[in-house]
Amino acid sequence: MIAPMGAVLGLSAALFGIGVFGFLARRNIILMFVSVEVMLNAVNLSLVAFSSHLGDPRGQVLALFVIAVAAAEAGVGLGLVIALNRNKPGAGVADLTDLKW
Amino acid sequence: MSILTAQAAFYYLAAASVASALLAVTRKNPVHSMLWVLSLFMHVAGIFLLLGAEFLAAVQVIVYAGAILIFYLFVLMLLDLPGEVARPRFGRHWPLAAGAGLSFAALAWLARAGPGVAPGATRTPAGASPRGSLSEMGRELFGPFALPFEIASLVLVAAIVGAVVLAGRRSARS
Repeated sequence: MIAPMGAVLGLSAALFGIGVFGFLARRNIILMFVSVEVMLNAVNLSLVAFSSHLGDPRGQVLALFVIAVAAAEAGVGLGLVIALNRNKPGAGVADLTDLKW
Repeated sequence: MSILTAQAAFYYLAAASVASALLAVTRKNPVHSMLWVLSLFMHVAGIFLLLGAEFLAAVQVIVYAGAILIFYLFVLMLLDLPGEVARPRFGRHWPLAAGAGLSFAALAWLARAGPGVAPGATRTPAGASPRGSLSEMGRELFGPFALPFEIASLVLVAAIVGAVVLAGRRSARS
């Protein structure tokens, strides 16, 4: 085993934590989406680590599905960003409060 | 590649990934931030290679770094989003965010120290597969995972249609 399981899982947790931090701290909506991508990457890393550790290819298949869903999320999310920017040009996330009750 | 070289490569890739991710979420310039995310994706692809997932490493580089990230960069440059530094309230929530992230990491660390992350009984020695990971993965993908695989294509079609409807509505009307 090249990489110890604990080290890979620790790395995955660290990347996920950084992604959560980025999502909560950034104000640019596109960079918030990119923080979500960092979190998805961390999850992929742990899936691949389990797949390699257990000698089971299903983890890699799940990681492939996660990548497909990430691509779909990027498409829909950025479509939403473009639509939002068209309706309210130059609005930051703090200004997008029309749905707030 | 000797085991020591491989371990050194893993620890380099791990440290570089964490550093890239930290720089990506803290840089003020969004384009710099995006380039650090590119560095993160490349290093994670290297870790995938070390873990024996060659196909996923290629997909990571081609789909994530090559397609998704370039898409993000295009939209970032297309829209003139307001700068983040101009807001005085920028620092109000970040200790909460850091606390949430650290508690996730601590939870994972505690779970790791608990009674066994993975059952050792089902573990086969690394590299035991005679066919290699890509062929194994293809067998899974077109065997037991055939229906989820088709549903993934459906999800992608729905995303394409949704993106066109959301982003192109007004230009189609005029």
